[in-house]
Amino acid sequence: MLDHREQFDVIVVGGGHAGTEAALAAARVGASTLLLTQSIETIGQMSCNPAIGGIGKSHLVREIDALDGAMARAADAAGIQFRILNASKGPAVRATRAQADRTLYRAAIRGIVERQENLRIFQQPVVDLVVEGEAVAGVVTAMGLRFRAPAVVMATGTFLGGRIHVGFETQPGGRAGDAPSNALAKRLRALPFRVGRLKTGTPPRIDRRGVEFSVLAEQPGDDPAPNLSFLPQPHPEQVSCFIAETNPRTHEIIREALDRSPLFTGAIEGPGPRYCPSIEDKVVRFAERQRHQVFVEPEGLECAELYPNGISTSLPFDVQVALVNSIRGFEKAHITRPGYAIEYDFFDPRDLEYSLETRSLAGLFFAGQINGTTGYEEAAAQGLLAGLNAARKVQGSAPWYPRRDEAYIGVMIDDLINLGASEPYRMFTSRAEYRLRLREDNADIRLTGMGRDLGLVGDERWRAYGRKTAARDRLMGRLKDRLVRPGSDAARLLEAESGSKIGSEVRLIDFLKRPEATVDQAIRVLGDTDAERELLRGVETEVKYEGYVKRQDAEIAKIRRNENIALPDDIDYHSIPGLSMELRQKLETVRPGTLARAARVPGMTPAGLSVLLVHATRGSAGKKHAVSS
Amino acid sequence: MPSTARANDTIAAVATPPGQGGIGIVRISGPLAARIGATVTGAELPRRRPALRNFVRRGESLDRGVALYFPGPGSFTGEDVVELQGHGGPMVLQMVLEAALTEGARLARPGEFTERAYVNGKLDLAQAEAVADLIASTSAAAARGAFRSLEGAFSTQVHALDERITRLRVYVEASIDFPDEEVEILASGQVAERIDRLVSSVRALLEQGRQGVLMNQGVNIALVGPPNSGKSSLLNRLTGEETAIVTDIPGTTRDLLKVDLVIDNLPLRLVDTAGLRETEDRVEVEGVRRARREAGRADLVLALNDLADSRADDVASAWPHALPVDNKIDLVGVAPGMDRSSTPARVRISCLTGAGIDSLKEAIKERVGFAGAESAFSARRRHLVALGQASEALETSRRRLEEGAAGEIVAEELRQAHLALGEITGQTAPDDLLGEIFSTFCIGK
Ligand SMILES: Nc1nc2c(ncn2[C@@H]2O[C@H](COP(=O)(O)OP(=O)(O)OP(=O)(O)O)[C@@H](O)[C@H]2O)c(=O)[nH]1
Ligand SMILES: [Mg+2]
Repeated sequence: MLDHREQFDVIVVGGGHAGTEAALAAARVGASTLLLTQSIETIGQMSCNPAIGGIGKSHLVREIDALDGAMARAADAAGIQFRILNASKGPAVRATRAQADRTLYRAAIRGIVERQENLRIFQQPVVDLVVEGEAVAGVVTAMGLRFRAPAVVMATGTFLGGRIHVGFETQPGGRAGDAPSNALAKRLRALPFRVGRLKTGTPPRIDRRGVEFSVLAEQPGDDPAPNLSFLPQPHPEQVSCFIAETNPRTHEIIREALDRSPLFTGAIEGPGPRYCPSIEDKVVRFAERQRHQVFVEPEGLECAELYPNGISTSLPFDVQVALVNSIRGFEKAHITRPGYAIEYDFFDPRDLEYSLETRSLAGLFFAGQINGTTGYEEAAAQGLLAGLNAARKVQGSAPWYPRRDEAYIGVMIDDLINLGASEPYRMFTSRAEYRLRLREDNADIRLTGMGRDLGLVGDERWRAYGRKTAARDRLMGRLKDRLVRPGSDAARLLEAESGSKIGSEVRLIDFLKRPEATVDQAIRVLGDTDAERELLRGVETEVKYEGYVKRQDAEIAKIRRNENIALPDDIDYHSIPGLSMELRQKLETVRPGTLARAARVPGMTPAGLSVLLVHATRGSAGKKHAVSS
Repeated sequence: MPSTARANDTIAAVATPPGQGGIGIVRISGPLAARIGATVTGAELPRRRPALRNFVRRGESLDRGVALYFPGPGSFTGEDVVELQGHGGPMVLQMVLEAALTEGARLARPGEFTERAYVNGKLDLAQAEAVADLIASTSAAAARGAFRSLEGAFSTQVHALDERITRLRVYVEASIDFPDEEVEILASGQVAERIDRLVSSVRALLEQGRQGVLMNQGVNIALVGPPNSGKSSLLNRLTGEETAIVTDIPGTTRDLLKVDLVIDNLPLRLVDTAGLRETEDRVEVEGVRRARREAGRADLVLALNDLADSRADDVASAWPHALPVDNKIDLVGVAPGMDRSSTPARVRISCLTGAGIDSLKEAIKERVGFAGAESAFSARRRHLVALGQASEALETSRRRLEEGAAGEIVAEELRQAHLALGEITGQTAPDDLLGEIFSTFCIGK
């Protein structure tokens, strides 16, 4: 075996969304980092549908961006259609979604990776880990080259035990086209991790030249196109998406072929995501529906392939052809790649620490699909955290991770390591109980300062952030200082614009709390402002939500207290009196590490928590979990 | 424990166990304790020195007693603690507690004072062990109390409400997380209508709960004793009506007679029974059998003892949950009232003159823990508080909807309502909601 002469601090295995953010984060905080990938060409590859963001997910993207990660900037540089979802609802659940050009996206990510200091790239499949004592010490590549590092981040996607199904045809595989890295898989399986199996699927791709767009509903992007990043970039040319629909004929084709479906004949065992069912699933489970929407998404400006989002399937190829051609507008469509279902193994994330370090092998971190999640955004967010914490470990610093009330990243990590993944884990806003404070518009306010302290945030972003907060503080100050008297010109203007009466003297900032009031009205009273549109909206939101945010403070304070109270690993929950049988059983499987985690066990009551609290001292007393600050 | 472990709200409860006479203590702990103490007693309290004060609520004097202020961290819980020690009996104590709650304290959960003491490093490991058992047993008692108050209709209704809020949240959350999926219902008026219906259900339940209608079984009390001891007479005395037949013939009552009544807000079910004696009469034998069965089942047995008949047995010792009642004091010239010198305490009454009946009522309330911190009564009270909060949050969500507030604001109020009900039914996790969403709607691409 040949040792590479360079010693690294952090090695990241995998060049997908988790791997690149992990490598970039580790390098940003000063760790000398190596990114090992099977193919440099596929760095930043979007292997599923070519979109970034969407509800819940865009919040993750903004948070990654606030910590100076790459995803938002790359999406802005590659986005060919941008839409704000939930625009009619409130700012907390508004979400930006970008349709990306695959090629441009890959190029953007590769550019960012190649410009990053402290980061080397090397193309070689990893076949083994180097383990010394109880800790990881490096990796071995296919050609027998050994790279040494005290921390390794595995961001290898669905490479473990992958099995692809198209009808009854099955073959081992990672993504369609990639060779599965089975040697490494064997090595990891030898470690004491719990392994679970999941399933996901993709639709057949079709050639745009066979599609009759005139009969489809056009879905143009927003104009002007919004940005995902807090550091705006020019977008490329913008295009539309289209919406097609399945029909009773489509459904009949599917029903007739169910005896050839691996899903319905039991060939596939892993649970698929409930929020992303295959078309055969939808047709069977919601039999009364006459139609299902199919979102027709371009894969790129220069490329002829379309991604028909909504007809993911593992039916045999001939059925796929029939079902695609049964859809109005797709009658002559040509399938370029068949749809398929893939089953794969993942490592139960309940065996991880909050830092994403594995509990059974020191220095080994997991990020992305390997942990049972799905989605680029979920993967990237974990990557960033794992890369950061791998570097911090080598640098001798305590791990950092945000709490549930600080970031969607915190919600995700907390969900994963406490609840595991019974289906591919995807972010939704309803997972975040403190949704009102975790908004797209304030992701930088929530995280950029912390990111700077951690060393993640570079000078350019820090300066831009400084300018923004200064402008924001000035605006807030003016809103606070400005008094509006009843009957004054300002009052008349506000009343006319908002339809809300000003009966007594009111500060402009308090007026803004009224539902009818908008920041535009306030600006008209103030006269000029140097603040940008986005910032104005952010201020309005902040003022409007203040009451709710304050009310949640008490709830959050309680959770923070409970976070400081560790529940020893060896508690025998069955022996604790005063808890219901059902709770005991749940606690026994979840084994929450802290009282705060116990509080989230479904069905938990305040009295049950009191009982647990006192049991906290039995056994290993006083042991505390790392607490994020 | 780190200082961040400090709680920031103020709790209050009756600290003396139910059924123990003498003084009663209302304990208040938390940042507002001193202020509440000052308001309830009319003036600032001296530190660590007893002060004799009137306990007042809304200008009305409730009791006179000793007030003590222990500033944190040198107190039992480590926080500011105020103790109000009164003599006025359980109902008065309850009113003093109400006064504290009105001033901003919240009703403490079982064992919460001890919990705070523990969190603030006031207990060592050995003590904590002992406390663990205590909390376990009090919360078990509370669970029984809660069960009783939640029994039957009430429980079913609270759980039904919980389910309805879940359903509603499923719709609202789905319209937020899956806007593409045509589950846009916030605007459709459906949500408003559902909230309205929920609000009226919660209100109705609250009203019933407040009136104790749902506790119709209330506390079961059996009147037991030898023939002619005055059981039926006592029943009539307590109900104020000639409900039961009274004669001087021993063995008048031969079957059970059940009457519901309310004594000072405490709902009771009284059961008059046949006098206990050996007999050949087959009807009476059955009556006696039923009397014993009823005594075994009851929450409290009033064991009547006929002071005028020296041959009659005093049956009180047969049941651990018996309250001995000496009747017919008018015939033997004994003073009415409670006698605490014996264990358990006895009550002396005359059904004929009504002397001692008030003392008996107090004794009953004391024995069933009507004033105790973790009695069925308090548990029910907590549930009513939770229902009240749920109702408030629902009404706010309705108002927000009306004002055209953002969907997530309405959703947040609904979450608060659900959280409040969760205090009774256990919390619903976000993932449970998502599960419901997926099984209800055809979601996904
Ligand atoms: N002087 C006096 N007489 C009483 C008192 N209480 C009951 N009596 C009388 O005692 C007799 C029996 O009373 P009941 O109430 O019928 O007694 P009981 O325990 O229900 O008797 P059974 O139903 O036969 O078991 C009646 O004549 C009552 O008037 C009392 O406090 N003083
Ligand atoms: Mg009788």
